[in-house]
Amino acid sequence: MRFSRREFLKVAAAAAAAGRLTPAALASLGRVLRIEGGPRVIWLQGAGCDGDAISFLNSIHYATVDSLLTTTIDLEFQNNLMAVTGDMAVSVGEAAGAEPGYILVVEGAIPVGGDGKYCTVWHGLSMYDAVVEFSQNASFILALGTCASFGGVTAGAPNPTNSQGVGGVLGSDDRLINLPGCPAHPDWLVGTIVYLLTNGYVPPLDEHRRPLEFFGRRIHDNCFNRREYCGQGINFAPELSGEGCKELLGCKGKRTYADCPMRKWNSDGSGEFGVNWCIGSGTTCLGCVEPGFPDALSPFYVYLPTPDGTESPDDGDRGTTVGGPEKKVTNRPDNHREMGEISGHDDHN
Amino acid sequence: MATTITIDPVTRIEGHLRIDVTVDAVGGEDQIVDARSSGTMFRGFEIILAGRDPRDAGQYTQRICGVCPVSHAMASCLNLDNAFNVTPPDNGRVLRNLVLGANFLQSHILHFYHLSAVDFIDTTGLLDMSPWMPRYVSPDMASGTVAETLVAHYIEALQIRRKAQHLGAIFSGKLPHVSSFVVGGCTENVTAEKIAEFRTVLNEMRAFVENVYLPDAAALGSLFPDYFQLGAGNGNMLAFGVFDLNSGGTSKLLSRGRYTDGSPGSVDTSEITEYIKYSWFADAGGSQNPADGVTQPDPNKPDAYSWLKAPRYADKAHETGPLARMWVNGHYTNGVSVLDRITARALETKLIADAMDGWLDELTPGAAVYQSSAIPLQATSMGLTEAPRGALGHWMDINDSVISRYQVVTPTNWNASPRDDFDEPGPIEAALVGTPVADLNQPLEVLRVVHSFDPCLACAVHMVRPGKRAGGYKVLIQPGIA
Repeated sequence: MRFSRREFLKVAAAAAAAGRLTPAALASLGRVLRIEGGPRVIWLQGAGCDGDAISFLNSIHYATVDSLLTTTIDLEFQNNLMAVTGDMAVSVGEAAGAEPGYILVVEGAIPVGGDGKYCTVWHGLSMYDAVVEFSQNASFILALGTCASFGGVTAGAPNPTNSQGVGGVLGSDDRLINLPGCPAHPDWLVGTIVYLLTNGYVPPLDEHRRPLEFFGRRIHDNCFNRREYCGQGINFAPELSGEGCKELLGCKGKRTYADCPMRKWNSDGSGEFGVNWCIGSGTTCLGCVEPGFPDALSPFYVYLPTPDGTESPDDGDRGTTVGGPEKKVTNRPDNHREMGEISGHDDHN
Repeated sequence: MATTITIDPVTRIEGHLRIDVTVDAVGGEDQIVDARSSGTMFRGFEIILAGRDPRDAGQYTQRICGVCPVSHAMASCLNLDNAFNVTPPDNGRVLRNLVLGANFLQSHILHFYHLSAVDFIDTTGLLDMSPWMPRYVSPDMASGTVAETLVAHYIEALQIRRKAQHLGAIFSGKLPHVSSFVVGGCTENVTAEKIAEFRTVLNEMRAFVENVYLPDAAALGSLFPDYFQLGAGNGNMLAFGVFDLNSGGTSKLLSRGRYTDGSPGSVDTSEITEYIKYSWFADAGGSQNPADGVTQPDPNKPDAYSWLKAPRYADKAHETGPLARMWVNGHYTNGVSVLDRITARALETKLIADAMDGWLDELTPGAAVYQSSAIPLQATSMGLTEAPRGALGHWMDINDSVISRYQVVTPTNWNASPRDDFDEPGPIEAALVGTPVADLNQPLEVLRVVHSFDPCLACAVHMVRPGKRAGGYKVLIQPGIA
């Protein structure tokens, strides 16, 4: 049986309406996409550590990476995995970029200094030029990881290569979605791709263009240390590895918005949440998803008052339950991009 | 007639690598007669680290590499333990080893199946989609049942590699980029439940290594016997050693050592020198005032062709990696070649996985994992360890309780280094020479040689200050620190 795009959308929308795409729903989604050719993804790597690619290879709540690669997405250019190399890889990249309708994933920062020579994607093409060129025909642009989103550690002071995030290079662009994190959680990437496929437009974002679904809640408000101890008055840990809140030891959970406390990291399989997370391992949150990471959030193991100086260490405020304030939605329906703009190839036969 | 081909990007590696090879007829066969290896990215980590809180070094340096962050975390922890004069409790030392061991497992399995095996198997009819299409097909590639088996294991290994990251995260918070490694130990407390969970996943990993990975590596060896003869290089090997088995690190699972010009030797880090004649760095003026010796990037330097420097031990190129570690420890001395590197890596995976099971028994639930300490006003220190792909060293100066200088010399700095000031090639460059190339449009032989080193280019570049050696830049070492 050959599914049409319309039938696929019905399957996916039903799954989405049920609250979350289940692994089974994603598998059927994958079967549909396999027949039609998966949504095309071009993945460029700039000045970074490839940690987001390694993170992507890890297990994810929505699906395992092997099912994603073999049945769901059409990963046309990805340096770590692709079979061909050199000139043939360049040809693959150029051909993919010439055909509109792909999702562009950018990993790593973009060095603007040194005429772009601090990082080349292939001979004769700087990362800077690559991002400008490949953004032309992209339906959506996912800045994956904090380096691609905001510059990250690569742009740490004094930013020797004048590295920027994608937004710093392209300027205001309503196709851009920032998925920061050092590295980005694989669910944040795959969940966003699933959203784009099922809805056809950019998900609700915060003022830093991060999806609210993943970056809408503050770490501190959902931290087990806070929940466990605030009822009896706050219990501050005397040192790392000790029990209690690590804020005075430098935890940046009060100014960091991500769903790590619920989602956790390194799940053991599709449909499962993770096994651990930074605060769960007895240490501090580094604030790695924030635009100011690392400079505005370090030293990492030192208590820093918030920039406006208004916030004192948690005094055991009992008013806030799990969840915390939702952040503002900035994109509007007129910015929505239509599903038809993501193209898939027919079968490779 | 000689032909030069450029391979840029080299794919299925970590980071940005370009290889130029010159091919010419030698004895009636087209062979590589010259090779150049170029790192094509510079980030300037050590410039970024200067002036920061020393305790943050591990979090910054992990971001050098997403494939081997735990090795940078380990090197920085050893470096800081040294500078802060603090000894982690046994639990802390063992936890660090377990997490690093888990990352060796994920990296070696990733390398064999996902980065390297595709060079040897014809995946036609098995993986007919991106990113495995288009692909190279050559007459010498394995096909039929062998290819089917290896492709099935490629897919299985995606899950097993993920399990290795799950394994490491049990004691590290998350992977990549661990959170629990700090000066003075580890922050993850030990419980009987976590030990049991770790052992369950580890047993799965060990079964895969024993029943799948090792037989697959052996099968590759029997199918491609020529590759036990190709990709030798100059045969010099260097290992810093890894997995401290006691609190002083005087005993290690894989010891420090060296093999130069056919003879074993000990490692004296003051013999490490780096050259920049062919690197995109401004010459800082030789051995003048060390304080002025900060190297600056110069992307337009004539004759330079790499963002990597050329580290040398006693002025000789040395390769680092699993083969070097296994060789200097006497565990594997079959030879130096593409398949010897692949085989030694597989055998090392089993050695480490088996040792990890014993380390679990050394953990004491509830006992201390961390010893607090204070930032020294001044210190000079180093931390030497191993990444999956070879020897890794971190060096640091602290002044006024902040980092005044931080320096990283990575395995791929050694292996993918350009020529030095004596015009001697780096290990990958040397290993490529003599390799036959059947089809210039499908440079599979080049990939097989380059991939056998498991290059990791994000680590490429760092700063040095000049030592006394004329023309070179000596890594500054405090005597007495080993």
